[in-house]
Amino acid sequence: MLLEIQNLTMQFGGLVAVNDVSLNIQEGEIHALIGPNGSGKTTIFNVVSGYYKPTQGVVRFRGKQISGLPSYKITAMGVARTFQNLRLFSSMTVMENVLVALGHHAKTRFWQHVLDPFSVRREEEELKEKALQMLRIMKIDQYADEQATSLPYGLQRRVEIARALATEPTLVLLDEPAAGLNEAETAELRDMLLEIRHSGITIFLVEHDMKLVMEISDVVSVLDYGKKIAEGSCSAVSCDPVVIEAYLGREEE
Amino acid sequence: MKTRTTLWKTIALIAFLALLLAVPKIARNDYQVRILNMTGLYILLSLGLNIAQGFCGQINLAIGAFWAIGAYTAALLNVNFKWPFWLTLPAAMVVAALVAAVVALPSLKVRSHYLAIVTLGLGEVINIILVNEEQITRGAMGIPNIKRPSFFGIPINSEQRYFYLVLAFVILGYLVARQITRHRFGRAFRAVRDDYVAAKAMGVNTGFYQILAITISGVYAGVAGVLFAHLNTYISPDIFEFRSTLFVLTMTLVGGMGNLLGSVVGGVLVILQEVLRTFRDWQLVFYGLAVVLVVLFFPGGAVGIARRWRERQGARRAREEEANTVANPPSEEAR
Amino acid sequence: MTKTVILVQTIVGGLGIGSIYALVALGYSMVYRSMGLVNFAHGSIYMIGTYFGVIFYKGMVAGLHLPYWAAFIVGILLTAILGVALERLFRPLANLDLMLMLLGTIGVGIMLDNLAIIIWGAEGFAVRSPLSSKPILVGGVALVPQMLLIIGVGTVLMVGLQTFLSRTKVGKAMRAAAQDREIASTMGIPVNFTNAVTFAIGSGLAAAAGILAAPIVYVNPAMSAAVGIKGFAAAILGGLGSIPGAIVGGLLFGVIEAISAGYISSAYTKGIAFIIMVLVLMIKPSGIVGETTVEKV
Repeated sequence: MLLEIQNLTMQFGGLVAVNDVSLNIQEGEIHALIGPNGSGKTTIFNVVSGYYKPTQGVVRFRGKQISGLPSYKITAMGVARTFQNLRLFSSMTVMENVLVALGHHAKTRFWQHVLDPFSVRREEEELKEKALQMLRIMKIDQYADEQATSLPYGLQRRVEIARALATEPTLVLLDEPAAGLNEAETAELRDMLLEIRHSGITIFLVEHDMKLVMEISDVVSVLDYGKKIAEGSCSAVSCDPVVIEAYLGREEE
Repeated sequence: MKTRTTLWKTIALIAFLALLLAVPKIARNDYQVRILNMTGLYILLSLGLNIAQGFCGQINLAIGAFWAIGAYTAALLNVNFKWPFWLTLPAAMVVAALVAAVVALPSLKVRSHYLAIVTLGLGEVINIILVNEEQITRGAMGIPNIKRPSFFGIPINSEQRYFYLVLAFVILGYLVARQITRHRFGRAFRAVRDDYVAAKAMGVNTGFYQILAITISGVYAGVAGVLFAHLNTYISPDIFEFRSTLFVLTMTLVGGMGNLLGSVVGGVLVILQEVLRTFRDWQLVFYGLAVVLVVLFFPGGAVGIARRWRERQGARRAREEEANTVANPPSEEAR
Repeated sequence: MTKTVILVQTIVGGLGIGSIYALVALGYSMVYRSMGLVNFAHGSIYMIGTYFGVIFYKGMVAGLHLPYWAAFIVGILLTAILGVALERLFRPLANLDLMLMLLGTIGVGIMLDNLAIIIWGAEGFAVRSPLSSKPILVGGVALVPQMLLIIGVGTVLMVGLQTFLSRTKVGKAMRAAAQDREIASTMGIPVNFTNAVTFAIGSGLAAAAGILAAPIVYVNPAMSAAVGIKGFAAAILGGLGSIPGAIVGGLLFGVIEAISAGYISSAYTKGIAFIIMVLVLMIKPSGIVGETTVEKV
């Protein structure tokens, strides 16, 4: 068991966003988290990645508790994430965005940056090579020197994913990676996700695009109003009347 | 094309350096050289501020206080314990760094407007302590008789000689700042500034970098303080009041916040202020007006203007070339 | 004098100064809440407002010698008009990066300060209280009449503001616009008008504070820096953007200063108040009454 979410409750003042949710993710699987808007999916991501401390409950990664740790430590342990509303670094190029995430690789200390320019330059070359590799995987290496936020939306999404992968995670949390993508782009994304899984990274996915979810997920968990209402393989879940009810009920609004 | 511009750049740089070295000879009197020395000191302050605020986004209204700490450390060590410049310098850097690190702590909990008043308040507290602990600092009377430094036996006891010392530190300070901000640390700083939530998610220990950035600004201010103390041979608390912080902020903004060259260009403001001194009261009214105009119309500062101009030149050149290749077959064009 | 007497006198003095800070802090918080603008020229408005009132009280304008209460009202009105003009000027600054907003408003503040110096001179003058300067004795406690006037009028103004905001149509419109500019706009609330009113009221309150304080402090252009920074600190202490916060922050700041001056050290007064502000913010980063907003990720 790679990630274990145990009886997680997340409360903001009077609002209970996540209500006693338990969820396990096995190594190597693609696990999707679906549910109507506002059901608490992103909140769970925020807890797992360390942005929120759970009101109640525990999150464990490889058996070790990570809930309550600061985000950057959780990332160092091997859990990366992307954001629903892209959060690229606006002053940086695509390459620089990825280089930030590669910072954990760096071995030079601060004093070397002042007094030892040669080691620093050498390390910089190595990091840039690694970054280019990451960009090639996401097929955006030709945009390396472009301002990240000047790219079209679909490409920005890829930068976001490349950046997360650059932290060399074991588990990556993707928050609506297909949002705003057209069919062709979604198909490309699907292939990329399968390649990512193939390279040994476990994927925890929040997504609204049901076609994509059905195509690649091994396990699907369904949330509604902060509670888990169903979980299982794609076919099992899509036939579950409770799930259909939750979605149809919302669609009417 | 690229090697040609690099060649021009190198020539310009060498010419500029040669000009700088000749300055003390060109200047007509000591007073003018003093203005240039002060410009150099303000450039150092601005470089520090730029790293903390321009690059890392941490508002630092205590930079004047850090400057004071550097100056007072140097002055007290020199006057009371006869420490020479070359010892007071590292000492002041260390003390200023420690003080800056403490002032930086609230940045972990508060940001923007709140951080502004916190750094302002802490800076004020430092100034108040310097004024009131008369036993140690002689309060408002200040500390006189600080010794000028000497370099391998050559006393640096004229405004001109001091100019070379300041110039050396400014160049060194600039190069160090460039090294820091160009690579990993600069990127981490900018990540914290651009989006600290995303920075955290990418494994950046944002708290560490915030404190580091402000501490670096403290070190720069500390160096400026030592240089000032030994230059002026007399320091008093009123020199380092909030007004000085405001000035460093303004010159960095006018030069270009977030760009090291902006700090250098901003130094021009020191000279400008001197030139306008004849207008007395109206000088400050114009100064205020200038700040407002810069904020409204040139927020990127001089560097921003230069960049936009270059972009527009580049775009115009691209359009011209495109039009030309359409109208004429490819051939050598006379410029 | 017994210990309790000294304590009560100190606290009354603190509430007096605190009322001044509170009235100034209200200007900062109101404008921030409705426009998202931190107006660092507010200290200058306070100073100019003081002059606007005092010059009539002292007969410096065409020999016109108004009684204190009349000068008070004239000063407030003139400053309110200045506020409306400044709101127009500050509109483009409201959406900028904090650093630019800070420097832009400071720039205007510097202009105002130095125009004041050019017009009225840098030396300043003392102003006599309209009430007697002999302290009133209440149960053994000596209370300076002007202090009582400050606290009294200050309280009236603060209560008046609360009433205005919760009962009148304009006040409710202002609160709606402050909460959500776009929605208020679509509902037909003239946001530019409410902003102008907010600025006018904030400036008027600052003028009121200054005219009330004039007999106690020395009136000169340097007032803007002294009170401007402390007023902002008080607003932050209470929670920037919160009206009750500004009042609480202001009064607290004044009382802390008074107690520090009386019991600890008069030299470190300002320093102690700032340190307490920093400590409070470390514990509750959004200020005493401020709402903790969780950033949406």
